[in-house]
Amino acid sequence: MRIHRLVTTAALLALAPLFAAAQQKEIKIGFIYDVTGPFAGGGSEPAQIGTKAAVDYINERGGVEGYKIVPIFADAQSKADVAINEATRLVDQEKVDIVAGVYSSAQCVPLVQQTDARKKFTWLNVCVATAVFKDKKLTYVFRPTVHSDQYGAASCDYIHYYSKSKFGVEPAKLRVAIIHEDGPYGVGVATGNEAQCKKLGLDIVLKEGYSATAPDLSSLVTKLKRARPDVILHTGYNPDITLFMRQAKEQGLKFKALVGHGAGHSQMEKLRQSFGDDVNYFHSIDPAAAQLLDPKTLKPAMGPLIQELIKRYQAVKGPGELPPHASMGFNNTWILLTDVLPRAIKKYGGIDSESLRKAALDTDIPLGGTMQGYGVKFYGPGTPLAGQNERSFVVVMQYVNGQAKIAWPREIQTVDPVLPFPKGHVFAQ
Amino acid sequence: MTELLDIYLLEAVLNGLLLGGLFALLSLGLNLIFGVIDVVWICYAELMMCGMYAVYYLYVQFHWPLALAMLAAIGIVALLGFLLHQFVIRPVLAAEPINQLLVTGGVLFFLQAAATLAFGIDFRNLGLALPALRVGDMSFSAARLIAFGVALLGVLGLFLFLNRTYVGTAIRAISQDRAVMPLMGVSGPRIFAITSALGGALAGLGACLLVLQYDVHPAIGLSFGPIVFLICVLGGLGNLLGGFAAAFVFAQFISIGGYFFAIEWGYVIAFAFFIAAMFWRPRGLFSR
Repeated sequence: MRIHRLVTTAALLALAPLFAAAQQKEIKIGFIYDVTGPFAGGGSEPAQIGTKAAVDYINERGGVEGYKIVPIFADAQSKADVAINEATRLVDQEKVDIVAGVYSSAQCVPLVQQTDARKKFTWLNVCVATAVFKDKKLTYVFRPTVHSDQYGAASCDYIHYYSKSKFGVEPAKLRVAIIHEDGPYGVGVATGNEAQCKKLGLDIVLKEGYSATAPDLSSLVTKLKRARPDVILHTGYNPDITLFMRQAKEQGLKFKALVGHGAGHSQMEKLRQSFGDDVNYFHSIDPAAAQLLDPKTLKPAMGPLIQELIKRYQAVKGPGELPPHASMGFNNTWILLTDVLPRAIKKYGGIDSESLRKAALDTDIPLGGTMQGYGVKFYGPGTPLAGQNERSFVVVMQYVNGQAKIAWPREIQTVDPVLPFPKGHVFAQ
Repeated sequence: MTELLDIYLLEAVLNGLLLGGLFALLSLGLNLIFGVIDVVWICYAELMMCGMYAVYYLYVQFHWPLALAMLAAIGIVALLGFLLHQFVIRPVLAAEPINQLLVTGGVLFFLQAAATLAFGIDFRNLGLALPALRVGDMSFSAARLIAFGVALLGVLGLFLFLNRTYVGTAIRAISQDRAVMPLMGVSGPRIFAITSALGGALAGLGACLLVLQYDVHPAIGLSFGPIVFLICVLGGLGNLLGGFAAAFVFAQFISIGGYFFAIEWGYVIAFAFFIAAMFWRPRGLFSR
């Protein structure tokens, strides 16, 4: 009897891991964002909230093909070296199946080199520098969101289109200043700005970078006063944007329009808290914040999904406009969880990096198939941007009386853009 | 290059002067502490951050009058300076300088993390828009002009305090000979505590002027800490007047360099000058 009991106990102990595995099939995803340091307030925190909302929602619906998603959030502290260390920790100690998230391009560029070399499937939700992929021949890294060349081109296309009709001058006489923070994100967008504006024949009167942590930008403002631009194309995080705005106002800088490129410029609620109506009619370029799109132009399932995001985001942050980064966190995580992962499991038999890579390369979501409007199809191996979504696009948003509207492209416009600043605006010439 | 010699150059020079005033004020407290106690507060800019939060909460959240909120903030940071000395610096006074440096470095990270937990990551400001002074095509920030004036008054006040008061004389005396002065009746620990509170008060004063020009957030110290430290080293660590002068030199490199070249070059030139100065005068430009 005693022997029988012992044998039974031993058998149960031996089988326990199998029962546990059957009950707790998990996919561990390590998400890296910045919840401390300056990037947190520049959009990284909203991206993390959006990401968590997507994971929670999927788990509430039963997970992915029987797997529960276990997110592990790591704080990169707005530092590239910390981001890399956290990626290493996630892979080596937490044994994550996927590395994902990442807000800052300055972190993405070095981080993906490491994860790709270690053949760890990496899914980038927010960082946009084209340099992350350009000619890097990455194999296991994918990015469904936009890339910085698209930002650079969109702002020039936008002001070029309205040069005559709104600004009242031929494009060749429209004076453009390009200013940017000097990390990969700012440099990437500014390079795109310069290339496209030159191609369109716009008059670039100044192009200059600065450190996002610079304590003073007064000499930049002085140079802008001297260069007298009609339009300022600005790429920055925070606190540099607020410092620039404050010093521009104090030093009496006048111009006709400002087009920002995501990051700090997309945090409209924060900018309004600091500057009130001074930021009225400013622009920001980003993938569309989901709630701004007409749900009729999207796949039917997207409408309720957008409402789910809004509900969950506002439960954390309270009422107010959702920044595009919340949509980027939610939407791009959603694509991973509902498109790539199920295919990897069902078609390729698992969640190892090779299966995930093959599943990602099979992704084929048409235009309107995601909550941010874009479709998803990744550039394949052997192409200069291998791993980048070729169907992504950005929109130009304009802030009109506290509300974000889509001003470009014209096909999905929700506002006739107000250009130049109306009389009485603090920056109006 | 000659086409750049116009009214805007003058604006850049004058804005450099105002920036120098701000840096000068920020360097005063750090220099005082090093000059007397022989310890570098690497966390000095984070004390200013605490002061900025104090002004913000008292003025915006609790609706205190601004002047009163600022006075209270100066008092709070003075208290922080005192506590920093009593609980962190005093136990390592006899330790190797590197240990003292690491301890205050630890306080830096502690204060940043504590501020993130307590106040969140949002950028906050007073919502005040001070008028600007316009002279022709030139324009100058009122907040910078105030900072410049306060910096001059600050250095003058500190000079008078150190030279005309009993406690000031004791501070100077103990900074000159830490071993002998206790034999003459000066209490070293008491003077160090007073100096720390004074250094904290100067950080609080700097915070009051910063919060008029910058948003406060837990990482604001990163924008000022390294530069203020470099300025103190450039002027000669512990040398109040040296630090004061070095602040203007450094600010002009940033401002004029940024005007003639790309703005990043302004910082490159300033730091290159710093390195060259360290070769030329390792103890600082104005060391005796």
